[in-house]
Amino acid sequence: MANRDTILASLKANKPKLIDLPFIDAAVFDEQLDLAAEFTKILEVVGGNVVAVSNDDEIASHLQNSFSELPIKYSTIDESYGSIDLETIANPKDLENLDVLVLESTIAVAENGAIWLADKNLPIRVLPFITKHLAIIISKKDIVPYMHQAYTKLNNTESDDYGVFISGPSKTADIEQSLVIGAHGALSLTVYLKG
Amino acid sequence: MSHPNLASIFNKDEKRVDWHDKALWFVRHKRDRSVHNVKGWESLRELGHGIKAHTLSNIDNYLIQFEVNALNNGVQVHWAANAEEHNQIVHKILKKNNAKKVVKSKSMLTEECHLNPYLEADGIEVIDTDLGERIVQLAKEPPSHVVLPAIHKDRHQVDELFQEHLGTEPCDGDPQYLTAEARKHLREKFIQADVAITGVNFAVAETGGFVVCTNEGNADMGAHLAPVHIACMGVEKIIPKQEHLGVFLRLLARSATGQPITTYSSHFKKPRKGAKMHIVIVDNGRSEQLSRPDFRASLHCIRCGACMNTCPIYRRSGGHSYDYTIPGPIGSILSPGKDLKKYSTLPFASTLCGSCSDVCPVKIDIHSQLYKWRQIITKNTPQPFIKKKSMKVMGQIFAKPSQFEKIGKVARWSLRNLPKSFINSKPNAWGKARDLPKGPKQSFDDWHKQREDNKLKNK
Amino acid sequence: MKVGLFIPCYINQLYPQVGIATIELLEKLNVEVVYPSQQTCCGQPMANSGYEYESVGAYNNFVNNFKDFDYIVTPSGSCAYHVKKHYDIIPQTEEVVAVRKNVYELCDFILNVLKRKDLGAAFPYKVGVHKSCHGLRGLRLGSCSEVVEEKYSYIEELLNEVKGTEIMPLKRADECCGFGGTFAVTEEAVSVKMGKDKIKDHLESGVEVITATDTSCLMHLEGLVNRNNQPLKVLHIAEILNSNISSKN
Repeated sequence: MANRDTILASLKANKPKLIDLPFIDAAVFDEQLDLAAEFTKILEVVGGNVVAVSNDDEIASHLQNSFSELPIKYSTIDESYGSIDLETIANPKDLENLDVLVLESTIAVAENGAIWLADKNLPIRVLPFITKHLAIIISKKDIVPYMHQAYTKLNNTESDDYGVFISGPSKTADIEQSLVIGAHGALSLTVYLKG
Repeated sequence: MSHPNLASIFNKDEKRVDWHDKALWFVRHKRDRSVHNVKGWESLRELGHGIKAHTLSNIDNYLIQFEVNALNNGVQVHWAANAEEHNQIVHKILKKNNAKKVVKSKSMLTEECHLNPYLEADGIEVIDTDLGERIVQLAKEPPSHVVLPAIHKDRHQVDELFQEHLGTEPCDGDPQYLTAEARKHLREKFIQADVAITGVNFAVAETGGFVVCTNEGNADMGAHLAPVHIACMGVEKIIPKQEHLGVFLRLLARSATGQPITTYSSHFKKPRKGAKMHIVIVDNGRSEQLSRPDFRASLHCIRCGACMNTCPIYRRSGGHSYDYTIPGPIGSILSPGKDLKKYSTLPFASTLCGSCSDVCPVKIDIHSQLYKWRQIITKNTPQPFIKKKSMKVMGQIFAKPSQFEKIGKVARWSLRNLPKSFINSKPNAWGKARDLPKGPKQSFDDWHKQREDNKLKNK
Repeated sequence: MKVGLFIPCYINQLYPQVGIATIELLEKLNVEVVYPSQQTCCGQPMANSGYEYESVGAYNNFVNNFKDFDYIVTPSGSCAYHVKKHYDIIPQTEEVVAVRKNVYELCDFILNVLKRKDLGAAFPYKVGVHKSCHGLRGLRLGSCSEVVEEKYSYIEELLNEVKGTEIMPLKRADECCGFGGTFAVTEEAVSVKMGKDKIKDHLESGVEVITATDTSCLMHLEGLVNRNNQPLKVLHIAEILNSNISSKN
């Protein structure tokens, strides 16, 4: 505790006089985006694949066509799609061979293609990272224009123990600035846009 | 070694300088394209600045609030006054958990504290999992950039490193193949890890949670697989509320790489079931920097690296020429606060062009602070006698017009009449690659006086 | 309107033609210019080198010479910026405050005080504009590529009206040239590399004449151009705006 108190005391002694906290006026940034169009455009720029669908059957058949040769799958939406039982997963490490994961989200952001996934959508936290291919279902009505509105929405719901904004598949440009899709996380991201 | 020395060594290979300059200018260009598409970008920077300035003015209370909330979330909170204590705390947690294998995602703080060698000395394996960090770790070098740690390496060097350390096939530097091999190699490390260490981009007082941003997903792979997660943060990472993340996450990636947001912005609040989470809050000179009114805004920094990408000196001297954990313009205003003498050449490694201040997403007046550090350095560190003396003499000349005229005449005569070989000889660094101007016979003063005299005569 | 002319020390001694062009140009525009003969230097060389305290004498001399003018005009964005930004270490008397407020870079003065644009100049060459940093990011004489704002450039607004002048586009429109005062010698290697890159950009764009609001940048670039025998000329913007060259030959 000695450290804690010394550090806090010295911060207190050294800080300037209180400066006002600015107010965030989100209207300043508003450019009347076509939310679904902007979301789709940006997500494709960051390497994601957006599929517009009108019903769940279309999702099922697209999934079937896209990943038919991959054996290990899990879906939080449609139990029949999955080939593994999460109950049998004793350790998250056992998910290492997961090929396809299908999840649902209720917040997406137009300006940056980010999709919010939280503990309530994620039976095991490592799922969207350890899977080779990630598919997320989102309704058009759940797209907000900017991060400001996303946090307003998050502030109005019960706080999540863990949550992540995901924008595209994992990537790196650490070798000579060449963009490579598929670093440690998912190699691909497919988003089903409903409505 | 001083910045000018290291920079001139870097400049011996001009092709390499060109390559390095272009690679970073490309990132700066991507940043421009991205931010020019954001309506209200300058207001967003203003907000970023304002929120940080406010936070620093109430930082102790926000940290206390953060601690209370983090504890309630089931997270253990530790405080470290300096690097040594930080390393000891981390080490102790590892010992307690019998940890032998650690995976680490990018954290400039642990670099600053030299955590890796400290743990390795006790036989603990520490693997940096960000690809760029892993590359420099294999090369036994420090990162040369805060966002692009291996930007100084070309693909062929990475190819060779991977052949040597990971047993990869020669691939003519194919980034796709090399990244895939790194993924395999590091996947194994993630699976085996006893503890995951991450940095912290933002810690939220209101929730006791913290946010970590990566493109590769390495922070999450580490934290969600290992039974223990240790997050290390400097005190200045604190922000008041979750809604402020909306401002900073909009600024960060766009400034860093031109991406609209990083691929993963992970919000950690409570440990997952059965796992443990620790937060280490570190001062290590930050409270001292807070005490300096002229320099405290340097603590606003969100480590986007934009000032490095835009800096014409950084691009042409490389990150290692700064010989400090955080290189580039921001490093040049942070480092003198740590060791004025050791880093005394860094604030002079700038033309004061001001580009760093204009790209900074949280509007740190970097170039003004460089200027201010210069004033402090000349007063408080030993300066070459000749520099000190010549500045004094210049000051006297410019204070007295009569002397200025006399000296000017001599200088112009010399430039006109002395042989070029003498003027451009070795002690004159100007003349190594540049000609000096030809000294005109008449100064502007002379011309003007003559003109006035003629006017009077003609009246 | 009482206008005092400040001629920076290095222009006075090494590039008098820039001072001459400035005074002739202002007189053409019917400005009655006074040149206080006791002036020396704005003090920047010492201050940027970290010896601000050695420049106090120069600061006081500057204020004494220019305190009685409505406007102080200088063919240097860098010196004007120094007076505005860094004269805060001497007591802020009314005179000091007024001098700091009234100092103007030449293009800024012509465009925004005199409200003149077409100065009747003719200069039939391909011109590359070097946007000197202190003028650009210090005095905001133009928009810079980092900042999200409407595009403008005082120097280009004036150049656009010059008969026969073609402004050539650059790949890096506002990167620093690498002069930086004593930086040019203390960081010789990087300074020279920056200058070489800058010149390359101009040459690749087909520029015949590089111009700027600051002779200091131009001195650095000219030094490289002359050493390497490159087909480029450098001229201060005052020299172009004061030209009346109807054809190349």
